[in-house]
Amino acid sequence: MKGFLEYVPGDSLLHKMNPVAKLAVSLLIIFACFITQSFVALIAILVLDYAFAAHCKMMPQTVGLTKAVAGFSAILALIALFTVPAGAVLAPLPWGYIGTGSILAAVRIVLRLVACAIPLFLTFYVTKINDISNALVKVCHVPYRYAFVFSSTVHFIPVFMNDMSGIMEAQTARGVEFDGGFAKKVRLMVPLCVPLLVSSVRKTNSAAIAAEVRGFNLRTRASGYKEYPFAGRDVCALALACALFAASFLV
Amino acid sequence: MIEISNLSFRYREGEDLALRNVSLTIPSGQFVGVTGAAGSGKSTLTYAINGIVPHCYPGDFYGAVRIDGHDTAETSLTDLSRLVGSVCQDIDSQMVSSVVEDEMLFGLENFGFPKDEIEGRVTRALADMGISDLRDRAISSLSGGQKQKVAVAAILAMEPAVLVLDEPTAELDPASSKGVFDLLARYARIHGTTVVVVEQKIALLSAYADRILIVKDGGVYLDGAPADVLAHADELRESGINCPRATSLANRLRARGLYAGPVCRNVDDAVAAVEEVIA
Amino acid sequence: MIRFDHVSAAYAVQTPVVRDASFTIDNGEFVAFVGTNGAGKSTTMRLCNGLLKPTAGRVLVDGVPTTELRTSDLARRVGFLFQNPDRQICCKTVREELEFGFRAQDALTDEARARVDATIERFGFDANAEPYLLNRGTRQLLALASIIVMEPDTIILDEPTTGLDFHECEKVMGAIADLHTRGKTIVMVCHDMEVVADYAERVIVMTAGEVVASGPTFEVLRQRAVLERAGLIAPQVVDVSLRLVERHPELAGTPIATANTLDEMVAAIEAYAAGAKEAAR
Repeated sequence: MKGFLEYVPGDSLLHKMNPVAKLAVSLLIIFACFITQSFVALIAILVLDYAFAAHCKMMPQTVGLTKAVAGFSAILALIALFTVPAGAVLAPLPWGYIGTGSILAAVRIVLRLVACAIPLFLTFYVTKINDISNALVKVCHVPYRYAFVFSSTVHFIPVFMNDMSGIMEAQTARGVEFDGGFAKKVRLMVPLCVPLLVSSVRKTNSAAIAAEVRGFNLRTRASGYKEYPFAGRDVCALALACALFAASFLV
Repeated sequence: MIEISNLSFRYREGEDLALRNVSLTIPSGQFVGVTGAAGSGKSTLTYAINGIVPHCYPGDFYGAVRIDGHDTAETSLTDLSRLVGSVCQDIDSQMVSSVVEDEMLFGLENFGFPKDEIEGRVTRALADMGISDLRDRAISSLSGGQKQKVAVAAILAMEPAVLVLDEPTAELDPASSKGVFDLLARYARIHGTTVVVVEQKIALLSAYADRILIVKDGGVYLDGAPADVLAHADELRESGINCPRATSLANRLRARGLYAGPVCRNVDDAVAAVEEVIA
Repeated sequence: MIRFDHVSAAYAVQTPVVRDASFTIDNGEFVAFVGTNGAGKSTTMRLCNGLLKPTAGRVLVDGVPTTELRTSDLARRVGFLFQNPDRQICCKTVREELEFGFRAQDALTDEARARVDATIERFGFDANAEPYLLNRGTRQLLALASIIVMEPDTIILDEPTTGLDFHECEKVMGAIADLHTRGKTIVMVCHDMEVVADYAERVIVMTAGEVVASGPTFEVLRQRAVLERAGLIAPQVVDVSLRLVERHPELAGTPIATANTLDEMVAAIEAYAAGAKEAAR
């Protein structure tokens, strides 16, 4: 999981875009995914997602993400398969039946979740968290306190993951086998939450102090050194995303 | 620059005093090394200087600490931070950003440094620490030693009048540790920065600091120029500090009546001492 | 015994952090790995006990590749002390902490309990104390004890003295030296060259992922060019000896030129000064 949701430096168009524009485009694509019922549209969005990924050289991460989201949504798809009786009957069930429509519904769920997850994740990979929060403060006038909470939370994810993998490593070195079954794994993980909790409480406390002695309380909207103006490309991207959003109602 | 008078402090959850009746004056531009055994109160002493005590850790606070005339108990932590830059022990939790450049900007932006100065300060501090190439790296991809350098650089960029560092070289190799101390000494000399650094490696302190404080049981046990402090080898050992080998070598020669010169602070001194003996 | 056979290793997509490393650590040795931050020392330690598998070459523990050994087998053979004891400590009392390794392997027998008792006594721990309330040095000692109690033949230490004061450092290193005299193999990464000089028998120098020198401790630490290339500084007594010989070539061949420890150096200077006085007379 190393590098999960972490900024990857680069100079692609997606890297250079305005953070707020990137977030807005991602959100519009997500809405479009949920509004449209068309397979063609979903597949088109998926192709678009992968084109973005290829453009900013995030293919390995995107493939990994696709697998993870597909795996997770498979559970939802399975539920849909057994609970949405639609189309021609394929197999009768005590409470209904599995039909061609059920299969379509299940596939649609997987497609939809994968297609809408990728843009948001890509945004995190190609944008520094601080740029997202600073741009939200500058452009959208979000109070800095909330933006800081958001960016710190995301910032601490890899720190805690690192801690967790360090702790698991230390216990593996003591002969704890994490490669067993799920139940055994959970039983083994529970005691390890103690060191993780201890270190996270210590960390959040000293992080608060560290932020305060570096003038956190003085920060205002004007503090940010970087400006986040909207360039022509951001306006274009937003316009295209709006068009996509509008089109999703039609198809 | 720093005036501590009759300072005692007890953490709210603690039973014993963490600091006992400490009185101390540190003039502007002095490079002060603080050392002592674990739990001796040396970290608490740095907290008292940067205002974390009593502002963040409540407890019984007696006496007074003044930084450039400002009483730390009556000045807000934010205002104190304009004067005192701090590098804490736990580097991971000190980082507020995901990328080195943003980490550097955080303090500069907050304290409202003029925007046309910011770029220069960032570039200079990174270059001084020898980490210009790390500017765009994600902080979680750095090694412990690299993170330590980033933390120091982020504070140096603000060029505070007082620098307080708690074991800034704990995870650094000998060459990088020397590099950090070279730089701190340079800031003290050129910018007149007052530097207070807690450090376990006595050899580094004796080679670089103008003055060494040995903290023991919450009080200042020894205080003086490195040569004067190192002359008390037995007391040092008893307070959990091992003299640098170069110092011990000269001390042993002295005990045998072979050497009568000054106390040795570093290898250069020791070589000179031995040359005197064998000449 | 640990043998590296042309081993390379890398994390994820980055460039290799260990490159074509080959060396053998025999049973009963005390070896120190030295080098700058990022030289690949910690990665080498992870390779030694199979936490990391090589991307090329083989790491053999007692003749068996680490890729073929189960985690628990490896843990029985090779104990690992991490730099940060807080990542290891996870139990409510000192006794439970010491029993943890046995419990993880479902092997908390009467014999194991007896070993735990003996360890508590040897280190002078309070068996019912809460580990998180102990100070840093004692936590490090507890982490070490919980590995020693499992009696692995080899113990790996990743910077065991970082953050410890002199007394704590002496305690931890004393316990390690004691293990070594009892025949255990000790492999250590350490930044403190004085500790390396005091305890290790052999030194392996790493630079940018490669092994650049290996040999008896002082033979290596006296090679100024090697140390410089690896960004290291010689222990102070060795440094004094080297500089004296550089400045006074006539000292070559005298005991001053070979003195490595404080005792040796003081004796060598005393003898030289006495000899000089004799000659003057």
